[in-house]
Amino acid sequence: MIEIEFLSAEVLSQQPGAKKIEFLVGNLRKGKILVLEDPLSLGEETRLIEATMKKVSPNFPGIEIGTLGGTVIGNGGEFRSLRESIIRMLGGKPRGLTVIGPSQLVQQIKKDPESLSWRAGEKTRR
Amino acid sequence: MIDSIFGWIRGLFGRKKRVCLGLYGAPNAGKTSLANKISMDWLGEPLGEVSRIPHETRMVQQKENVRMRANGFELSMNLLDMPGISTKVDYRDFIRYGLTLEEAQKRSKEATKGIIEAIKWLEKVDAALVVMDACEDPYTQVNITVIGNLEAREIPVILVANKIDLPKADAKRIREAYPQYPVVEVSALKGDNVDLLYDEIARRMR
Repeated sequence: MIEIEFLSAEVLSQQPGAKKIEFLVGNLRKGKILVLEDPLSLGEETRLIEATMKKVSPNFPGIEIGTLGGTVIGNGGEFRSLRESIIRMLGGKPRGLTVIGPSQLVQQIKKDPESLSWRAGEKTRR
Repeated sequence: MIDSIFGWIRGLFGRKKRVCLGLYGAPNAGKTSLANKISMDWLGEPLGEVSRIPHETRMVQQKENVRMRANGFELSMNLLDMPGISTKVDYRDFIRYGLTLEEAQKRSKEATKGIIEAIKWLEKVDAALVVMDACEDPYTQVNITVIGNLEAREIPVILVANKIDLPKADAKRIREAYPQYPVVEVSALKGDNVDLLYDEIARRMR
C-alpha cells in the first residue's frame, strides 16, 4: 500500500528553514509520497538532496523529486523568480507543486515543463 | 576602504584569469572522461579513473593551473571534476555490476558524501560545465536544480551534450530543454568537438 500525503502551504510555512527540510525527510523515511502545495525553491531542493544523502541507508536509498512551476530557470539570478516573489509579497501563492517520494517506491518519472507523471509501487528485486 | 583600493589595483591589472571550472552532472554522464580529455590536452596527464559503474568519482578531483588557449585567449584554471549528483544511492545497484556486498556498501557511503561535497562546491566555482549524456532524458529535476543553483549565483554555465558518437544520442533534446544556455556537442571519449568547447569556454570567460 502506498501512502500519499498532501501538504498545504500553511503546514510547511510553519516549518521554517532547516526544520522544513527535516520534516520532509522524516516523512519520506516513513515511506510516504509527499505532494507539496507550495513548490520547493531550487535552493530548498538542493538542501533536501544534501539532507537525504546524510540519511541514506539500506531501507532508505534516497528520493525522487519533481517540481512543476515554482522557480523558473533561465531568467537570471534568483532562487525564486521575480514573478513568484511579487505574488508572495501580495499574499498570494505561486502556481505549481512539488512531488517527492522515497526512491524505492518510485518506478518511473516523466517530466516536461507542462506535466509530471509518476509511476509508483513496491519495487521487486531479483 | 582598503578593499576598494585593492579592487582598483586589481582593475588596473585586468580581470581574474585563474578560474575554478567545475564539471557537474549526473553519474555516468562522462564528466571524468571530459576532465581527462581537457587535462590531457593542456597538462599531458589524466585527472581521474573512469568506470562503467556509477559513482566512480566519489571525491572532488582537481588539477590546478591548467592553462588553456583558444581563440587567442589564454585561461589559467583549476579544473574540478565533481562527483555525480543524484537523489538516490542504492548499494544494491552496485552489486549488479559485480561488486561484493562490502564493496557496494562502502561505495554507497562514499558516494553520498561525494554528492554532499559536490553540492557544497556549487557556491565556490567560477564557471561550470554541466555534462549531460545525450542519450538520456535531459529534463531531470537534478539537472534543473544544478543549473538553477548555478544561475542563482550568476555563475556562467555551458551545457555539454556528451556521447554524441553513440547512435542513440540526441543533443537536440538538450537544446530544447534548456534554450537559454549554450550547448556544445562533444564526445569526450573520442575527443570529437572538444575544440569547440574550448572556444566556448574562452568566449564565456573572456
